[in-house]
Amino acid sequence: MNFWFGLLIGLKEISAHKFRSFLTMLGIILGVASLLAMFALTEGVARGMRENLAASGGVERVEINNKDPSEENQDLAFLSPGRTLDDAEALRKGAPLVSLVSPEMNLGNNTAISRSNITIRLATTGACPEYLEVGKYELAEGRMISQIDVDRVTRVVVIGASVAGELWPDTPDYVPLGEVIRINGVPYRIIGTLAYCESDAAKRKRAAGFSAVQDERRTRRMGKKKRVNRYDTYWQKNHAILVPISTLFNDFRTASNADGTPNWKLDRLSISVADLSLFEETLNQVRGVLERTHRGIDDFGFDTREEWFDNIESSVRATRTSGSLIAGISLLVGGIGITNIMLASITERIREIGVRRAIGARQRDIFVQIVVESGVIGFIGGILGLLAATGVIQLLIALSPAENAPVMTLSSVVVSFSFALGIGILSGLYPAWKASTLDPIEALRYG
Amino acid sequence: MALVELHDIRKTYRVGDQEIAALDGITLSIDAGEFLAIIGPSGSGKSTLMHLLGCLDSPTSGSLVIDGVDVSRASSNQLAAMRNAKIGFVFQSFNLLPKFDVLRNVELPMVYAGVPAKVRRERAMAAIERVDLLHRVHNTPLQLSGGQCQRVAIARAIVNDPKIVFADEPTGNLDSHTGEAILTLFRELAESGRTIVIVTHDNGIAARLPRRIEMRDGRIRVGVEAAVSATTPLISPAHPGEEAGA
Ligand SMILES: Nc1ncnc2c1ncn2[C@@H]1O[C@H](COP(=O)(O)OP(=O)(O)OP(=O)(O)O)[C@@H](O)[C@H]1O
Ligand SMILES: [Mg+2]
Repeated sequence: MNFWFGLLIGLKEISAHKFRSFLTMLGIILGVASLLAMFALTEGVARGMRENLAASGGVERVEINNKDPSEENQDLAFLSPGRTLDDAEALRKGAPLVSLVSPEMNLGNNTAISRSNITIRLATTGACPEYLEVGKYELAEGRMISQIDVDRVTRVVVIGASVAGELWPDTPDYVPLGEVIRINGVPYRIIGTLAYCESDAAKRKRAAGFSAVQDERRTRRMGKKKRVNRYDTYWQKNHAILVPISTLFNDFRTASNADGTPNWKLDRLSISVADLSLFEETLNQVRGVLERTHRGIDDFGFDTREEWFDNIESSVRATRTSGSLIAGISLLVGGIGITNIMLASITERIREIGVRRAIGARQRDIFVQIVVESGVIGFIGGILGLLAATGVIQLLIALSPAENAPVMTLSSVVVSFSFALGIGILSGLYPAWKASTLDPIEALRYG
Repeated sequence: MALVELHDIRKTYRVGDQEIAALDGITLSIDAGEFLAIIGPSGSGKSTLMHLLGCLDSPTSGSLVIDGVDVSRASSNQLAAMRNAKIGFVFQSFNLLPKFDVLRNVELPMVYAGVPAKVRRERAMAAIERVDLLHRVHNTPLQLSGGQCQRVAIARAIVNDPKIVFADEPTGNLDSHTGEAILTLFRELAESGRTIVIVTHDNGIAARLPRRIEMRDGRIRVGVEAAVSATTPLISPAHPGEEAGA
């Protein structure tokens, strides 16, 4: 007996008992759907985190931050000037393994940005030209702050993509190049706007027809005021206010210390590692340069993203393992369900099996017939599970935050589907063995 | 050499610590082209013998050779191949597959023989024509009468062109009129040269067959078996001589 004939019998048997077969498949359907949904969720979260990491500078970005000096240097700590523009200058000259150096001075999150009678409150950053590349920004219109702006201390500003819309709410898509806005009352001329940043998932979600307007409507329906996550990398990048670091110092820092002296300290000092394979060497070089400018006081440390990256990978792996375990158990239960129904179904068909044996079916033929039948149940269950999963994932995409939207990958589809098929076949083995070892005469006499 | 040869066949069933000798030393040979009746009281071992002859079961001891193949110690696969290619079996209760129509039922033995679909259809139609059921090919057994079901079963038994057809009380579930028609069908098959063995309770039927074997308590009753020459008219009133001792 050939395989196709077995398949035909299996399909006939399944279509003869549609509802029973559907109930039999339910375990497999739920198992596959939950396995796929789980894969898609973890994949979505992982991608969101990876993209977030890339959007905020990638693994090559290292931040130099303040740190308490070690015990023996504690008494001499006052000797160190801390992180200043001199550090940036020294690194640019003395650390060839560093490709970019981006010092920043910040005005807090509550800086008043105003135009005629509109005022919004955002963080303002005093930056150097390198800021654009280190922070993975792209320019939409106009130009970035140049070295000349920094040298000449000009009052120019580059704004994030969402800022124009908030300052000129009546004219959407207005590109306000050349307009003057006030930062804490000081007039700055807009010389450039930054490109809109969003995650791939958000892009997909928008392409799939979920507009920002719908999002807003949904949050309103849910009775909440649209909550803005100010720690969201993408939100921050779209609300950037960038001015030359020298201008920011001149306008706001010359007497900002408590005793009325100028505050030279940087709020942030980021570098870009030129060659990731020389990561450690680069850090050593930077350490050497900064120890000189800090007069031997080790009051600085490095914040690298490698750990962050490792954390993402390991947490994704952990969720995936536990999720697979749960989905696997439900598939197993589904498989036991198939075994159970197949046993009932062969009991119902003992006589038929006897007839087939009497006219020349070998044990092997009966075995194949039953296994193919349960394999077909697994196969169809897998397909239905796939469909169910697609539906569930669409729902999850609509419900979850854009940057973590679940992603169904081909490999997860292949894995879940073969699992369903495998379970189908495995759970048919025992009933098939029972059916094929029936004694033909007793089977014929049955019932 | 005879088509079927049995030598000292025994079949013992063990139930608990009781041994039941269903067949107690059967020696018999059947030639090609014979039309043979097996009669005997209930429990005398007729069905047990037919199952052995039909390769559905193996004897406890003794030798059974069918068409030159010793099947008394054959493997399950060899027995299946014998049943498929060389033997046709007709049951009292028809044993058709209720979900399949007449055509699919008759095709089934050829499916296991690996006959290609087109040939299968042709041969099945020929067999169905032989039993005069062409007008019901697409009916399922549940839509047919008992006599029609038995015809389908006979078509299925002969579709692989077996060497020998065994029928265990083929008329047992039918009224006498329908039974007569089925018997006529067997007779026609026998006339066209097929070897046929029928178990029957009906002495009237058995009496008209050219050779009869009577069984009792798992043995063939000595002196009762009487070979009748092939020239004996097949359709004729009962021969008084052959009734003796029955
Ligand atoms: N599987 C079995 N287990 C135990 N005993 C059996 C089994 N099959 C048959 N027998 C016994 O073997 C003997 C012969 O049975 P068999 O069915 O061959 O009789 P039979 O001549 O066909 O009877 P009937 O005319 O009623 O069909 C009986 O005594 C029966 O009880
Ligand atoms: Mg019987």
